[in-house]
Amino acid sequence: MTKEGWEPNIIGFLCNWCSYAGADLAGTSRMEYPPNIKIIRVPCSGRVNPLFVLKCLMNGADGVLISGCHIGDCHYSEGNFHARRRFAVLKRFLEYLGLDPRRFQMSWVSASEGDKWSKLIKELVEEIKTAGPNEVTGDD
Amino acid sequence: MIEELRNKVKELFASKRVDVVLGYQRAVDGVSAKPLFIYNQEDAERLVWDSYCVYNLACYLKELAGKKVGIIAKACDVKSIAVLLQENQWKSQDLFVIEVEEVKPSAPADKYESVRKLEAKSASERLKFWEEEFSRCIRCYACRQVCPMCYCPRCVADQSMPAWFSRANSLKGNLSWNVTRAMHLAGRCIDCGECERACPVGIPLRDLNKKIEKDVKELFNYEAGSSVEQKPLLSCFDKNDPTDFIK
Repeated sequence: MTKEGWEPNIIGFLCNWCSYAGADLAGTSRMEYPPNIKIIRVPCSGRVNPLFVLKCLMNGADGVLISGCHIGDCHYSEGNFHARRRFAVLKRFLEYLGLDPRRFQMSWVSASEGDKWSKLIKELVEEIKTAGPNEVTGDD
Repeated sequence: MIEELRNKVKELFASKRVDVVLGYQRAVDGVSAKPLFIYNQEDAERLVWDSYCVYNLACYLKELAGKKVGIIAKACDVKSIAVLLQENQWKSQDLFVIEVEEVKPSAPADKYESVRKLEAKSASERLKFWEEEFSRCIRCYACRQVCPMCYCPRCVADQSMPAWFSRANSLKGNLSWNVTRAMHLAGRCIDCGECERACPVGIPLRDLNKKIEKDVKELFNYEAGSSVEQKPLLSCFDKNDPTDFIK
């Protein structure tokens, strides 16, 4: 992949109740943000398995974002608490392996935070652009 | 010492409290030791205990479900058993633990020395290091087979629908496998070192496990196998868990 004209490919795992609605709000409010993020809707941020992140990074994604309800607002009361704990471990571990920590990020976005969502994606895309294409992905 | 151990085992059989006792016997080379499954009082005579008894016998528990089992356990095995009980994999009334003192060279001053050394390197150096190590992996899954904590009836590495990562012996697949194995042991690995001992190509697997062990201690003040009563690390949470990495 040449660096010229390269656009980052980011996968977002968004919880159904907050972040997905937040991203929807950004859309219906006509807020602009880069189209580099491909959204996958999940029931809860607690649904996201570290394997999802790994699979994305090993199959060509330049970045992975996990987004869910703010702490205390989880639709299932405690899903995001579990996600937070799990991904605190994964984040440090990926860094230890030498993978760029910028490629894996987490954020809490509520259903009313369309503006936060659009700002987050703008910043995220910029950050991944500085990180460059994900080169860990080779042949199968 | 060994007679005392044999008598304890015989006593368990005499009182009909166990179906089988796990211990060690002399291997065919006459020097090293191998696991021994004791089914009656006569078998207990073959029991040995010395510094060659290295295997983590808790690993065999997964094949003995439903039986009443006695187990000769050194420090590592005791911790493994604690995790298995904590995760409801065993009923404590079906398990008779005979604790034995380990004959072991003195422990290193800093357990995490190798981890710290790696952490101090640059990201690209770390990636290069692990890529080189994982490139030797032949995906024999010996690390999984010897691990007392790897008890899933169907391992994620064996699933084909969906295939979570390549089963081919490729760098991508190898990296995925080793990361997944280490992540699945987060807050569960008690650092018995069996995976690294069993690895035929000498990948420093313990440096993966120890990194997570160290992080978990720092982040959540959690130590695997330290108590049966505590909840498994990733099955519980604290409202004050670190949150600084989340935007």
